[in-house]
Amino acid sequence: MRAIQDPTAETPLQATVNGASVEATVESRMLLADFLREDLGLTGTHLGCEHGVCGACTVLVDGAPVRSCIMFASQIDGRDVVTVEGLSEGEGLTDLQQAFKDNHGLQCGFCTPGFLMTISGVEPSDYPDDDSIREMLSGNICRCTGYGGIVDAVKQVWGRAQ
Amino acid sequence: MMRPSLIGAVVPRVEDDRLLDGQGSYIADLKRPDMLEAVVVRSQVAHGILGEIEVDEARRVEGVVDVFTAKDLVDVSPFPDFHAAEFVKPVKIFPLAKDRVRFVGTPIAVVVAGNRYQGEDGADAVFADIDALSAVTSVEEALAPEAELLYPDWPDNRLTGFAPSSAEVDAAFEKHRVISGRYGFQRHGGVPMETRGVAAEFTDGRLTVWSSTQFAHIARDMLSYTLGLPLSAIRVIVPDIGGGFGMKAQFYPEETLIPWLAMKLGRPVRWIEDRRENLVSAVHARDAYADIEAAVHADGRIEALRGTVYQDAGSGEAVPAGFSPAFVTAAALGGPYKIPFAAVGVTSVVTNKTPSGAYRGFGTPEAAFVMERLIDKVAAELGVDRLDVRRRNLLEQADLPYTNSVGSYIDSGSHTLAFERMVELATAKVAERRQQFADDSNIRVGTAPTNYVEGGTPSYFPTTGQWASNDSASLRMNPDGTIVISVAVQAMGQGLASMLSTLAAESLGVAVEDCLVVMGDTDTTPYGLGSWGSRGTNVSSGALEKAVAVIRDKGSLIAGHLLEASPEDLEVVPGGFQVVGSPDSFVSWKDVATTANIHVMNLPDGVEPGLEAIGFYDPPGIDHVPDAEGKMNACAAYTNASQAAVVKVDVKTGHVQLLDYLIVHDCGTVINPLIVEGQISGGIAQGIGGALFEEFHYDEFGNPQSTSFLDYHLPSATEVPAIHIELIETPSPTLPWGAKGVGEAGIVGPAPAIAAAVEDALAEFGIAQITSTPISPPVVLGLLQDAAKRS
Repeated sequence: MRAIQDPTAETPLQATVNGASVEATVESRMLLADFLREDLGLTGTHLGCEHGVCGACTVLVDGAPVRSCIMFASQIDGRDVVTVEGLSEGEGLTDLQQAFKDNHGLQCGFCTPGFLMTISGVEPSDYPDDDSIREMLSGNICRCTGYGGIVDAVKQVWGRAQ
Repeated sequence: MMRPSLIGAVVPRVEDDRLLDGQGSYIADLKRPDMLEAVVVRSQVAHGILGEIEVDEARRVEGVVDVFTAKDLVDVSPFPDFHAAEFVKPVKIFPLAKDRVRFVGTPIAVVVAGNRYQGEDGADAVFADIDALSAVTSVEEALAPEAELLYPDWPDNRLTGFAPSSAEVDAAFEKHRVISGRYGFQRHGGVPMETRGVAAEFTDGRLTVWSSTQFAHIARDMLSYTLGLPLSAIRVIVPDIGGGFGMKAQFYPEETLIPWLAMKLGRPVRWIEDRRENLVSAVHARDAYADIEAAVHADGRIEALRGTVYQDAGSGEAVPAGFSPAFVTAAALGGPYKIPFAAVGVTSVVTNKTPSGAYRGFGTPEAAFVMERLIDKVAAELGVDRLDVRRRNLLEQADLPYTNSVGSYIDSGSHTLAFERMVELATAKVAERRQQFADDSNIRVGTAPTNYVEGGTPSYFPTTGQWASNDSASLRMNPDGTIVISVAVQAMGQGLASMLSTLAAESLGVAVEDCLVVMGDTDTTPYGLGSWGSRGTNVSSGALEKAVAVIRDKGSLIAGHLLEASPEDLEVVPGGFQVVGSPDSFVSWKDVATTANIHVMNLPDGVEPGLEAIGFYDPPGIDHVPDAEGKMNACAAYTNASQAAVVKVDVKTGHVQLLDYLIVHDCGTVINPLIVEGQISGGIAQGIGGALFEEFHYDEFGNPQSTSFLDYHLPSATEVPAIHIELIETPSPTLPWGAKGVGEAGIVGPAPAIAAAVEDALAEFGIAQITSTPISPPVVLGLLQDAAKRS
């Protein structure tokens, strides 16, 4: 990959975001989270720390959870991005979202999109028990719930005994 | 016909769908036409005299619109100093520092630019000449005779304090054995996932301010004081809040600065705090210790307490003032125990750290830690079982209502019941866990039940010197029978809209989904003080109950007229009214509301059009100032809980892991168990963070060392165990619905519970008492090594 000399240099990108094709020109320094939020108006992706720790900004890039606050917008060129807005496709809550509601897996809702995207991007069989579910969730910080409702939501949507 | 009650039922939250779908609207999501971004330049020096600030180069940075310093803010007044009482030193807070900086993070300039990237480029080009002074970084340094003064016109660095004396207390200490300790709680804070943020625009002579604040009306009051506008010219709007925890129940310099910029520039301006700023400039909390002694009987009964709470209040530049939690600590020490006499004072000092302010629990977690640790020491020194010491001091049903030694009026509770249940739960659980880890020679497992009382719905007067305890709610029924409830309490995740909708539905027989709750807008909500101090449910439901009663009475007059029945013969049923026991006589709220609002010709004689009421509420029994003896009842309700952490300690690494957290909790009537348990769990998680690792570190020069989430650790799903909650309901005899408030309760208990559990786990090693938090691996290893050296 070529080195970027000028952080404000305009960089073209072409990507798929929530199923729609997106073409844009961004400053090379623009972060993916800012591009999604400011340029595309997808404000469901939240910024909690802007240094890759809290997980609130998690989106799926080519199906894998990534932190959009430490990825450049230009890096999604040619890739497929899904944000929280892309989960339900406007048809009511998904099973995962409903499970969060049923189990009080959210309070203020700020970290919630990041949790939803992380969970959406993992393979349930990799997390066979409660401890491993907690490990899977440990890259996302929730300051409100104490996590019990989130763990229960995951178990509900994965068909595990509550 | 009995309607099924919604009180105590799991009612799904009305807030959730949009939040789950990415449709929440937080301050950072706000966009206004032509909006500019502000970036605040902050002092990188902890203590110094502020000289020239060089801004010309910043002004030339691409995209930068302008740069301002304190010199430009000629038409801004400093924050009013409501506490200007003799016992609190004056602190003049200005949105940008004028001549002195007192902590790293002090706002000294502001850059306004087209976007945040450009604003940060500009901020990098601002240079401030700061003549550094030596930094004061602890209570001991602040009180040293040669200490550098933060406020040169003060005689010393004491912000406030008091030292009560009592002949009865002194007599008790003469007569009884004295057991003492020093117990401390480190500096940490609310740290919500959403940072602070403010946006403003000024159009047609009116200022609109969006702020992530827990008290819209108080913010508007403060804007009026600082910007000189009448309240009618200011509208404060609170978008969705991504967590507050007290950190947003403060009025900050940026909340005046950003509106001033919008007025100055004639364009909307927004400022979104980044995480580093949040960790150095939004209020911190705790950072207090107590020197405490107990006069004890041989059987463990405590006759009197005496001592001082020392608090590091940071720079003191906070509104409400940061000393107040230390007063709460001193007053809350007695907790659920009947201790006849107490004389505990406070010394609150200023240091060159981020100002201290509110954090969930507000002094009570510190009090619980001090008291429970002291009781454990009493047990150890007297050789009495720690459970028996508690039993001999705990409030029993026959003791209630009980006015304790500082004036707190505990009208009801289940202190002994909760404790005995907890002993049962913890005993069983720890046995199971010990079995599980029996084969691991490095692991020890322990638990130890502890107690607390959390005062809620307090007077704000001791904290603010201005506001008291009142709130209000309005209720309007639309012509179709749907409802708009408007309140000044503020949601920040605690489900207030669900709670208020549930209560309106319960009272009027309407559907929960037919209630719309409006909050966070000073133009559309009646005056009130917002959400803090576990007050939201109590004050808003008290006000709502009054409004509901008016609507129900007026509705029954109209319904009776429509049914040609006497209003006294009607009952509320789902969707409307009927003649008691006669479903055929039903008239819907929709018909009643249409009559009241549209077909007014069908109203009974003497009934005015409209179906709208406002309720004003001031919770009963609260004192706003101490009496002649210095006693006061500062809270309208006192919840109680007993809890235990089951911990696993690795004796090789000192690592403490929680296996289970058990709590038996009584917050009076439970309106929605889902929400109540959520509040308790979330508080416990924060309490675990504070007990084990959350800490704002500073070096000796006052440089903050915890400026990212790599250095400031928040609990994740692997540090918080499964939490087992049992609810006891002892309704408040005075508050509407019997609820006592639950927002802060969970956070009070973890530190003393974990400390005692670790000691239980390590009992065989004879470690010294754990006297401070965080209980980190080095602390635990140190205790083990010291014990090994001694033996």
